[in-house]
Amino acid sequence: MQLLISSVCMALTSAVIGYAYYQKQQFYPAVVYITKSNASMGVIYIQFFVIVLMFAKLLRKIFLGTLRAAEFEHLLERFWYALTETCLAFTVFRDDFNPRFVALFTVLLFLKSFHWLAEERVDFMERSPVLGWLFHIRVGSLLTMLGILDYVLLMHAYNSTLVRGPTVQLVFGFEYAILLTVIASTAIKYVLHAAEMRTDTPWENKAVFLLYTELVIGLIKVVLYILFVVIMAKIYALPMFVFRPMFFTIRNFRKALNDVIMSRRAIRNMNTLYPDATPEELRQSDNICIICREDMVNHSKKLPCGHIFHTTCLRSWFQRQQTCPTCRLNILRTPAVNSTAMPRAADDAAAAGAAAAPGNAAPAAAGAQPAAAAPVAVAPGGDANQGRGNNPLPPSFAELFGDTNGLPNLAGMMTPPPPVMPMLPPFMMPPQLVYFTPPPLPPPPMPQDLTKFTIEELRAMEGHQREQIEQRLKLLRNINLMLDSAGIMMSQYQSLAASLQLNSVPATTAAAAAAAPASAPSSDVAPGSSAAYDKPSTSAMARAQLEEEAAAHQVNATAAAAVEKVTIEDLGADEDDVPSTATETVSLVSTSEADFDENSSELGELRKRRLKFLEERNKSSTSAE
Amino acid sequence: MAGSALRRLMAEYKQLTLDPPEGIVAGPISEDNFFEWEALIAGPEGTCFEGGVFPARLVFPPDYPLSPPKMKFTCDMFHPNIFADGRVCISILHAPGDDPMGYELSAERWSPVQSVEKILLSVVSMLAEPNDESGANVDAAIMWRERREEFNSIARRLVRKTLGLPQ
Repeated sequence: MQLLISSVCMALTSAVIGYAYYQKQQFYPAVVYITKSNASMGVIYIQFFVIVLMFAKLLRKIFLGTLRAAEFEHLLERFWYALTETCLAFTVFRDDFNPRFVALFTVLLFLKSFHWLAEERVDFMERSPVLGWLFHIRVGSLLTMLGILDYVLLMHAYNSTLVRGPTVQLVFGFEYAILLTVIASTAIKYVLHAAEMRTDTPWENKAVFLLYTELVIGLIKVVLYILFVVIMAKIYALPMFVFRPMFFTIRNFRKALNDVIMSRRAIRNMNTLYPDATPEELRQSDNICIICREDMVNHSKKLPCGHIFHTTCLRSWFQRQQTCPTCRLNILRTPAVNSTAMPRAADDAAAAGAAAAPGNAAPAAAGAQPAAAAPVAVAPGGDANQGRGNNPLPPSFAELFGDTNGLPNLAGMMTPPPPVMPMLPPFMMPPQLVYFTPPPLPPPPMPQDLTKFTIEELRAMEGHQREQIEQRLKLLRNINLMLDSAGIMMSQYQSLAASLQLNSVPATTAAAAAAAPASAPSSDVAPGSSAAYDKPSTSAMARAQLEEEAAAHQVNATAAAAVEKVTIEDLGADEDDVPSTATETVSLVSTSEADFDENSSELGELRKRRLKFLEERNKSSTSAE
Repeated sequence: MAGSALRRLMAEYKQLTLDPPEGIVAGPISEDNFFEWEALIAGPEGTCFEGGVFPARLVFPPDYPLSPPKMKFTCDMFHPNIFADGRVCISILHAPGDDPMGYELSAERWSPVQSVEKILLSVVSMLAEPNDESGANVDAAIMWRERREEFNSIARRLVRKTLGLPQ
């Protein structure tokens, strides 16, 4: 087809020239004849365009090789837009309309097309698996050539404007200035991509550099466009033909600005709110960043929900959305305290939760495989919590915790879910139902390390160094965790007992004494809220029950504290001051458990206070030693 | 080192080749361009699409996996969740934020945790159990709901067509 057109053109041109020469027999009269005849000039013009097109093809072959289908499509699309804009520009400069002017515009369009192609090629660098030397030579020489041409033409336009005042050269000067910025940004991108390709590890800051490049180039372009519009509006008329590109430039600039802001925010959040994942945590998880599917060796962050990702992967995701990619926990709404107060013991449970979450979060996605996936995913947590293995969490569980109180870790590490469940939706569950499906109540996750303390672990805890203090703190946190779970279990016992409407007080108190910490203060602090758990029908009964219990528990509380004290001493915590701490901790924990459902911020506050208290105590004890 | 999108796609391709899920074959159309894949999906057993092999095309954005790919069946399909031109309409392929049908939960949307394998498995389960509330193809949704027999016969005809059998 193209061959046919060009050969027809060739034939026509040679016919015109041959005919003129045959008529006039001499060179000069023949030229005069051709320029005088409109038909002949038309043929010559068409021939000119065909030659330009062939030249373009030749250059393309040299510098770009064959175009990909997408490249060709984009080129064609942009070309037509540019052509219409050029026609619009002609209307402004209708007085200067002459062949030279058309030729200049043709050259401009010609250069523009190569700029677009160079841009596409460089953007494609990141996506192509193999790039040879030929590619680099081609892109390098193309960029250099285009840059030099742009510069020369810009200077020419500038000089001619200075000499002859504002003419159509103003438009060309402006267009080449814009093209220069395009070349600059393409060259920067090329250098960045090429630099990344040379290294074997992913270059983490490349995305940030790219963002800032976009921003700066966008700013320059916007300024250029505005200047041009103002100047043109003053001298000629409002330049309609730049409105479309100007609009897109401004939009891109806004997007770049937005991206930079979001990215900065994400980086700041990550640096301040989330801790780096320790090598130990990485070893415990499967060590693969689920965003890029690559190993996490360094620079990974742990979110409040316990999921670990590459810092850079997280940054680029947070630019779009402030949620955990795995469990969709809104990270901005979650108090940062959780991440620091998170006990180590919870890690494997949280990891198990992480593995289980994809299945829960996207039931549609896992539709075909949930039966197979769920048990496998939960399995890692099985040894930590005996109840977990056969009771995979219902989907709503994680969401409930994640959304309302920002306590996913609590949810993950607490006693097995079955006892928690009847307590969670107390409003929907009539007491009778609880009676018919008595939840299995396994013992709280008992301190496995109590008996299996190795010499190293013991040694790790004595001494005044930072590591030792950390070890002790960690242990205290574990104890804390157990107390928390005991508290939750206690409140379940209580609601169960209330719903069963047991009349014998001793039985209830016995049950309560077994895991006393939570019940006493919880009934002290919030009898109303506990009563509200039950339906109105039973609330009167329950309140009476609770009051009885409250009286009994006041007596029992001290005993419970004593029990706790023994535990803590056995665990090898500091000897001095223990009773007071134990009681303090217990009361704090239980209070927090009582308010647990109502006010998560209060809970956070309490946790903070507790942590501070523990730290202070540790400090004072080490200084005493 | 190539771009992160490319590396992730290569990793997924490797994974899908080494350990392919049942009834699914997928891979790049050409090794030069990892951003366009072709997938073959076997109709799930026990449904009206049983026995069929449906070709589809996946186009990945440059910022994959931050944005979801686009998926389009390249054969004739008649299904409540597939547009007449073959585009697949399931929530896992929609980025959080845009909600073409106005009812999807963000928990079901695209996230970088998803993968080609999960998309294709969701499509298989979508074939087995159409969601007649999201009307990508309203005619198909109504027929599925009200005239199941007719729907099944059209589906069986399409199955024969994809296999190149006389209808």
